[in-house]
Amino acid sequence: MAETKVSYRYAASLIDLALEKNTLDELSKDMELVLSAILSSKDLGNLLLSPVIKNETKKSILSEIFKNKISEDSLNFINFIVEKNREYILDSIIEKFLEIRDEKLGVVRVEVKTSVDFTDEQKVKLKEKLENILNKKAFLNFITDKTIIGGFVAKVGDTVYDASIKHQLELLRKEFLQGSVQLN
Amino acid sequence: MAEVRPDEISAILRKQLSGFESEVDIYDVGTVLQVGDGIARVYGLSKVMSSELVEFPNDVFGMVLNLEEDSVGCVLFGESKLVKEGDTVKRTKRVASIPIGENMLGRVVNPLGIPVDGKGSITTEKYYPIERKALGVIQRQPVKEPLQTGITAIDAMIPIGRGQRELIIGDRQTGKTAVAIDTIINQKYTHTDEAAKLGIKPVYCIYVAIGQKSSTIAQVVAKLQEHDAMSYTTVISASASETSPLQFIAPYAGASLGEFFRDSGKHALVIYDDLSKQAAAYRELSLLLRRPPGREAYPGDVFYLHSRLLERASKLSEDLGGGSLTALPIIETQQGDVSAYIPTNVISITDGQIYLESNLFNAGVRPAINVGISVSRVGGNAQIKAMKKVAGSLKLDLAQYRELEAFAKFGSDLDKATQRTLSKGARLVELLKQGQYSPVPIERQVVSIYLGTNGLFDSVPVHDVKRFEKEIREFIEVKYNSIFERIKKEKALSDETISEIKKAADEFLTIFKKSA
Repeated sequence: MAETKVSYRYAASLIDLALEKNTLDELSKDMELVLSAILSSKDLGNLLLSPVIKNETKKSILSEIFKNKISEDSLNFINFIVEKNREYILDSIIEKFLEIRDEKLGVVRVEVKTSVDFTDEQKVKLKEKLENILNKKAFLNFITDKTIIGGFVAKVGDTVYDASIKHQLELLRKEFLQGSVQLN
Repeated sequence: MAEVRPDEISAILRKQLSGFESEVDIYDVGTVLQVGDGIARVYGLSKVMSSELVEFPNDVFGMVLNLEEDSVGCVLFGESKLVKEGDTVKRTKRVASIPIGENMLGRVVNPLGIPVDGKGSITTEKYYPIERKALGVIQRQPVKEPLQTGITAIDAMIPIGRGQRELIIGDRQTGKTAVAIDTIINQKYTHTDEAAKLGIKPVYCIYVAIGQKSSTIAQVVAKLQEHDAMSYTTVISASASETSPLQFIAPYAGASLGEFFRDSGKHALVIYDDLSKQAAAYRELSLLLRRPPGREAYPGDVFYLHSRLLERASKLSEDLGGGSLTALPIIETQQGDVSAYIPTNVISITDGQIYLESNLFNAGVRPAINVGISVSRVGGNAQIKAMKKVAGSLKLDLAQYRELEAFAKFGSDLDKATQRTLSKGARLVELLKQGQYSPVPIERQVVSIYLGTNGLFDSVPVHDVKRFEKEIREFIEVKYNSIFERIKKEKALSDETISEIKKAADEFLTIFKKSA
């Protein structure tokens, strides 16, 4: 877990650069693209992890993939990371970068679990409600999970807003356990 | 078989479920990264506090001990098998704490306050965190009231005051727990109306069993029940089968409960049986949390572990109600080695120690207290005047006896004076012997010691001393009861009382029948 500290350094400096040049939007789009590429291609991930492949080779492969797709600044940043032999944590650097960006922009990402798909109207309502509570702009990511039976579970960072039937039943179970000694 | 009526069930259900709300529940979570050996590393839980309780699935609780940059180190109070990687961990927003209140008396609980005696749940209103800061200088006052153990040797020569910390140290099987249990049993007197009239305030007892066999704990509880001592006692049990984190927090939980009594102006006695096992439990979890080991592989803060616990024993100033918390920590030594790490630490923290020795125990001197090296640094101020008066010469006589005892073994001719010292010493040693579970009230102790130190036993054969003591006590009780009453009330030994004791002794000596 020592990487987190390192990733934070690189990510924070990239943010500084973006704010300086006023290219945050562009850079974030690039980084999201790179991240999705790494996550979708196992070979690319292995390439980054491999210590056998020379830095020059890695650089040329990466620039071939991303050339014309991302800005020069972004490509330079990736090359810089390869040069510093930190390419094996490129994904965590980008994740950290997106995290810091969200924080800077006052945006939160919310993972919402529902048992059945929400209608668009419901989605908008939930978003408004959450934005009210959190006082931040919220991006909702909906997932269907039958195991929660009903209601919804919204996860913002480490905090959970739990209105699921599953959780209610769990609470009920505990309530019963508390009283069970008295019943005997 | 009693029948279960459906309407009864629904009534209970309604009662249980009233106040059960179904709204959105908000809580903080983390994810288990790694689990094993009773330790879990958790990612997330970003706002968690140190020593906060966290909830794992399957009703396993844990306590946060390490806060690191990107993870949190938790110790588990339950089985680590029930927790898997990737499990969700919930915050409880409550630091590890114990329920407090008078309702805890008479119960056996685990260190988190959950009853383990099968007598149903305990209703308490408040919780105290298990780790509380010890009081400062301003809130305290010197120890001044005695805490009677009912053991003559201790009350006479190693007196313990309310608010003191007195270590009981000795090898295995030397009667350390027996001393502690006798002390608890002897507090029964303080709960009587008679004691209240004499201005003796009740002492509530807490017995913390750490790393002991469950059977031993059950035995202790049974003994306390037998002597009617459970009504003012709470037993906190962290037996050998509990996980090491529970054993580690047990004494702190006991101290918190004791502080509740102390803070409400009452008096409490807490026994930590024993702290060597707690140190071993702490070493285990420290090593698992990868804290660097030091001497005897204990972590660097093992001194602080015990000092912060024992500092919580205190006598409050009158402004704060004058309550007290007395601590009797117990340490088990290996082959009498008191210079090991933990014993030396605890000796230096406490206000004195009671040494129990196995060779004395085997020689039939029970309680096996070595009075030569046992001390009490503050208790003397708390002794009642009568006891102070008679105990001074007792210490001296015993010291002289020990010095000459070695010579006497050569069997050479001894002069009269030496012989007298030896015979008196032998009788005094005999006098201080005392059976288990038979505490002696202070006024009776005073009379016995007065008789012993003033040579009124000298004509009694050594093997008859115990019988003589018992019979003369009964004799005084019947014929000269005013002696006991006066010592109890005046707490001092007036010349008048002394002459009366002498008179009673002379009278009794004429009717006492020596055994063959």
